[in-house]
Amino acid sequence: MTETRIPETQAEPRLPASPREHLTSPVTRSVLTIQNRILAATRQFLGSQGFTELLPPIIGPVTDPGARGAKQVDVDYYGHRYKLMTSAILYKQAALTSFDKIFFIAPNIRLEPLETASTSRHLAEFHQIDIEVANASRDDAIGIAEGLVRHVVRQVVEELPGELEAVGRDIGALAGLLTQPFGRRTHATAVANLTAIGHAQSPDAEIDWVGEAMLSEQVETPFFVTDYPKGSRGFYDRESKDQPGMLRNFDLIAAEGYGELCSGSEREQDYATIVARMRETAENPAKYAWYLQMLKDGVPPSAGFGLGLERFTRYVAGLDSVWQASAFPKVPGIASP
Amino acid sequence: MKEATLRAEAFPEAAVRSRARTGAADAFPPADEYGQALFGADVGSPDPTCPIDRLRLVPPIFVPQRMAQLIELAREPVYRDVLLETTIGGFRSALPLYVSAFGSTEAASVDLGIAASRQAGRLGIPMVVGENVMPVNSYGRLEADAEQSLLGRISAYQKEALDGYGGVVVQQSTEDADAEVWNLVYSDPNVLPLLQSGRLAFELKVGQGAKPGLGGMTLVGAGAAERLADAYLLDPVLGGGQILRSSSPGTFTEEILRQQIRLMRNNYPRARIWVKLPPARDVAAAAQVAWAAGADAVTVDGAEAGTGWAPRAFLRQVGLPLGECLRRIGHDRAAPDPSCLLVSGRMWEGARVAKCLALGANAAGLGRAALLAVDTDPDQGLVNLVECLALELQLLISALGKYNVEALGTEDVWSPLEI
Repeated sequence: MTETRIPETQAEPRLPASPREHLTSPVTRSVLTIQNRILAATRQFLGSQGFTELLPPIIGPVTDPGARGAKQVDVDYYGHRYKLMTSAILYKQAALTSFDKIFFIAPNIRLEPLETASTSRHLAEFHQIDIEVANASRDDAIGIAEGLVRHVVRQVVEELPGELEAVGRDIGALAGLLTQPFGRRTHATAVANLTAIGHAQSPDAEIDWVGEAMLSEQVETPFFVTDYPKGSRGFYDRESKDQPGMLRNFDLIAAEGYGELCSGSEREQDYATIVARMRETAENPAKYAWYLQMLKDGVPPSAGFGLGLERFTRYVAGLDSVWQASAFPKVPGIASP
Repeated sequence: MKEATLRAEAFPEAAVRSRARTGAADAFPPADEYGQALFGADVGSPDPTCPIDRLRLVPPIFVPQRMAQLIELAREPVYRDVLLETTIGGFRSALPLYVSAFGSTEAASVDLGIAASRQAGRLGIPMVVGENVMPVNSYGRLEADAEQSLLGRISAYQKEALDGYGGVVVQQSTEDADAEVWNLVYSDPNVLPLLQSGRLAFELKVGQGAKPGLGGMTLVGAGAAERLADAYLLDPVLGGGQILRSSSPGTFTEEILRQQIRLMRNNYPRARIWVKLPPARDVAAAAQVAWAAGADAVTVDGAEAGTGWAPRAFLRQVGLPLGECLRRIGHDRAAPDPSCLLVSGRMWEGARVAKCLALGANAAGLGRAALLAVDTDPDQGLVNLVECLALELQLLISALGKYNVEALGTEDVWSPLEI
């Protein structure tokens, strides 16, 4: 009955005609070489800090419900409704019962709303550098994120100047990132900043995609946005005890208009609080049985984040669109190999 | 025309079917009796226990708004000059009416749902699609029986929709959150035209009129029951191979309601957000929380409402009558209040709708009446019923000396007891 199609205006004009055209392009080869180095530098940095890399789950009875409007993919698992991971957040918390510092390079699937096809930074299939640390605070997680990004960018800049030149990246634009501490501002300040330049924002919601890009364009060094309001994020971000309604979380926003790279938080791990938060996020606690049992039995308090690998690659390489940072891109709504 | 199969004993079924067949002419007694019969007040039909039925609409003698209209038109205004167009939960609507949800309940399924969708689209009024239509009847993007599905209803509406008017409202309750109905609709290319024209809304179902305090209930066969066992309470209480499938009512506190609405606004910024409340004793407080959190409309289903299966005790003895809900909400509402209040519960003719609008509602929902109308005539029944209702509204509003449906107010009704 229905033919799935996207109106012309929604599609990115420069999408490759075929996987061969994309994969044989010198630009793609340079980008994937840079991405390969990003991954190697990530593993090196986190390894040196005592992290254990675990292989992420691909399916489970539940996954992260905190993805703004995106649809999860159902899998018929021997007659049970399973999900492809939108993110492995719940499994990261569980994994801390085994190791204190873990990370995944995790594939994620999110059937994003169609309006994201034109943001230049959404893919329906993407990867996250997904980190969780037991007994850590938000400041600890922010410190790791900043250190990781700086280490990785430095290594790419120093070791792959030829590839960066081949994709036309202005290396000078990354100088601030390498030498200056990343700034911080609260969500309330970010909303006020955007309102002041005529882009109205709800104080109770995520910053919209255009707003994130506008804030990003105004700076030369990445910065953190903290204290997002409840009602904008999943049930696992811890609510501030001092400021009810405020979450102990953060996003990392890239410079030069590349927008959000990373989301993270201190985690809630109290069973009763999580059940209440599940209801506040319209979730049905019944389907989270294994996770709730895990919380009842006790998981360590923690903090962590997920850094989008393709977005990070796009930023480092200075690409127009995030699909260029994937060997096999899936732009939301577009049926591609 | 197929033979009508629905029954609605607690509803003025014969009167609704008559309108669905004959349309606006049914606003009057039969024309062939004119000149032979004497007509007067029909004292039999109002329900003496219903606070709305006990009200009377009371036209004034002095009519400043008619005077203004006279100057505007340079002639005496008549009832056909009354504007019925209004805004309903963020949508432009040709009339202060919408089709309320009738879910996946067997009586409301498939053919009637599709017929109602087509006619609501044609009329330019919003339509709500009930919770669990998708979990029970599927979404319809990949399935062979796509016509039966949620997408089938949305597509039927879109195909005939009056340009710039109306909208589709998709409900979701606690259990069908598992199926992510809203996320699926929001990311579906087939729904893009509605989204781009600002004509998609999502309705958070907090409860319903026929069984406040309970979740949705349907009867299913053993096969379907097995499939639904993970998500619902399945109770074989009725015997005979039929199983009662119950949703939970969902747990709400003020904070849960507030945050759920905020999350909906966060996740679906291009969709309108509606909230459906049951006729509960704290309905006014819940409406205030919903509006403050940014709901585009609050729908209140009076205890008179409901198309679905419900226990007898609930149908007869549980929940506030709609009139009392309106009184409580009106009491807490600042005037003029721009927030949108929608009501449903035994709506089928113009006087009851006009009284509800006078008591503060912005529009009224047709549930059982819409089903009976499309059951009477799948091509034209709802259109006929609505045309008759619209004519009655024009007659009544003009009699009250007003020429815009949005001008109705509490001065237009009289109660033997203070309502």
